[in-house]
Amino acid sequence: MSGTATLAANLPVVSTGRIGVVLRPVLWLLLALVVVEAVVVVFGIRTYYLPRPSVIASTIMATPGAYLAGLWRTFLETALGFVAGSMFGVVMAVVFHRWQTLRELFFPLFIVSQTIPVIAFGAVVVLWFGNTLFAKAVISFYISFLPVTVNTMLGFSAVDPRQVQLMRSFGASDAQILRRLYLPAALPQLFVALKLASSLALVGAIVGEWFGDTTGLGVLLLQAMYNENVAGIWATIVVSACLGMGLYGAVSYAERRIVFWGGEQ
Amino acid sequence: MTLVDRDFQGAAGDAGTKDLASVQDTAGAERPLIELRQVSKTFGTVKALQDLEVSIRPGELVTVVGPSGCGKSTLFNILAGLEEPDPGNILRLKGVSSAASDLLGKVSFMPQRDLLLPWRNVIDNAILALEIEGMPRAEARKLAMDMLPEFGLAGFEAQYPNQLSGGMRQRVALMRTFLFKRDLMLLDEPFGALDALTRTMMQRWLLDVWQKHKRTVLFITHDVDEAIFLGDRVLVMTARPGRIKLEQVVELPRPRKANIVTSLEFISLKKTLLEAIEEESMKSFQVAGH
Ligand SMILES: Nc1ncnc2c1ncn2[C@@H]1O[C@H](COP(=O)(O)OP(=O)(O)OP(=O)(O)O)[C@@H](O)[C@H]1O
Ligand SMILES: [Mg+2]
Repeated sequence: MSGTATLAANLPVVSTGRIGVVLRPVLWLLLALVVVEAVVVVFGIRTYYLPRPSVIASTIMATPGAYLAGLWRTFLETALGFVAGSMFGVVMAVVFHRWQTLRELFFPLFIVSQTIPVIAFGAVVVLWFGNTLFAKAVISFYISFLPVTVNTMLGFSAVDPRQVQLMRSFGASDAQILRRLYLPAALPQLFVALKLASSLALVGAIVGEWFGDTTGLGVLLLQAMYNENVAGIWATIVVSACLGMGLYGAVSYAERRIVFWGGEQ
Repeated sequence: MTLVDRDFQGAAGDAGTKDLASVQDTAGAERPLIELRQVSKTFGTVKALQDLEVSIRPGELVTVVGPSGCGKSTLFNILAGLEEPDPGNILRLKGVSSAASDLLGKVSFMPQRDLLLPWRNVIDNAILALEIEGMPRAEARKLAMDMLPEFGLAGFEAQYPNQLSGGMRQRVALMRTFLFKRDLMLLDEPFGALDALTRTMMQRWLLDVWQKHKRTVLFITHDVDEAIFLGDRVLVMTARPGRIKLEQVVELPRPRKANIVTSLEFISLKKTLLEAIEEESMKSFQVAGH
């Protein structure tokens, strides 16, 4: 009697364990795929509108090399742009925080820069830097740094001034206060921006590839579109989604490891 | 009773004045560690301090009481070098005229709130000031580890502030202040957030540590008992704008036992001080009422 009770009480604990956390989304995804497959078959939806998941899977498996190469290339462009954009974003936040005049002069320009649609900008970048990996990374960079700057500045402004005074009473220099107080205090806000920036950087890389390239997920997407290869389009979408989720997951993982104290001040 | 009281008051007052005078006469031997003359501080239209005069001798433990908002924390901010007083003041550290900002890094200051960094554990919070001074982390940690038991934090070195009770957080902040070894220590209501029992323990503990480490301490409190129990002198501040209303020398013998609070001397001191504080608190309420 008591044995069954214990077992029942234990069951949910087991399913919410570490493995459960990883497995549950996968199970949900599989279920969703099965449902989509069934819906497409039952309602007789034409491949032109929505191919069956199994068709998409077999499209990828038909030429896995092309998708892997595209994935790798786009990943490199995204990662380069994302890392450079994030670092630039943090550096600019520090500069704007440190020098009020520079902030008044240039911060509005930062905002204006973001109102130029990335598509218009992309053509210029490709003209300047040629058809290179670097050119795509520049576009990723361009659309990912601003949220990082804005959120880091937000994090800085939330620092308790009394905390700064305490550090100053210990004789701390501005650099010491920045490193030991402002930067760690801004980490929770910074990670919110990094998660957003990782998705934006991927968009930048894919759009950048539309201005001409030979490999990459953007290229695969364009080729499939011209050939009216609907399964190919969907296959590229799925691979891009995996890349996006992977990047987001990696940043979230880093966030959980680094910002262990949460938002508590 | 009243007669005895007045007598005692007179005696204490005399002792206070004589003390101050002798300090000025024999400036070479017992010159004040820090001296403030005509210090005022205005925030916009609010006059927080006006013509404040304080002098603290080396090794003294001076307590400061006064109505809320009278400028006690402002006084500390000036002494810590964080606020510049209005022009026309005299501020001398070991006899040398200085601007308040010269005091940055020369005074160990414990603000009213613990201000622990949530991403640092107990040890790393305690060594913050040492790290800023440039001491290697390993060395600073070792120093702090040896001090943990004395502060009742043994075994808690790896805990983070959000895992600690209010009293423990306060002790970590105190430890941080003690590790920053400076001639003058400013403690702004260090035990204000503690329960009565912990508070008494901490007071006795502080006296022990103070006697052992021979530090000069300026200590803000709202609690008259605490002010008398700890202090060599009690400074009572007026309602805003803050000045020193009364400077009461406490001639209770040291080491002080817990039961000293029931002694006749203690009680008559308490009566004097409470009257002075009460008068000022009434004033600050009347001002607020207008
Ligand atoms: N930075 C500031 N700007 C404007 N006004 C201030 C500032 N700091 C203090 N004041 C004002 O100066 C007065 C004295 O403040 P202070 O914090 O020194 O009081 P306190 O005696 O420490 O009070 P409490 O006992 O409540 O801690 C208050 O009226 C406060 O509003
Ligand atoms: Mg105060």
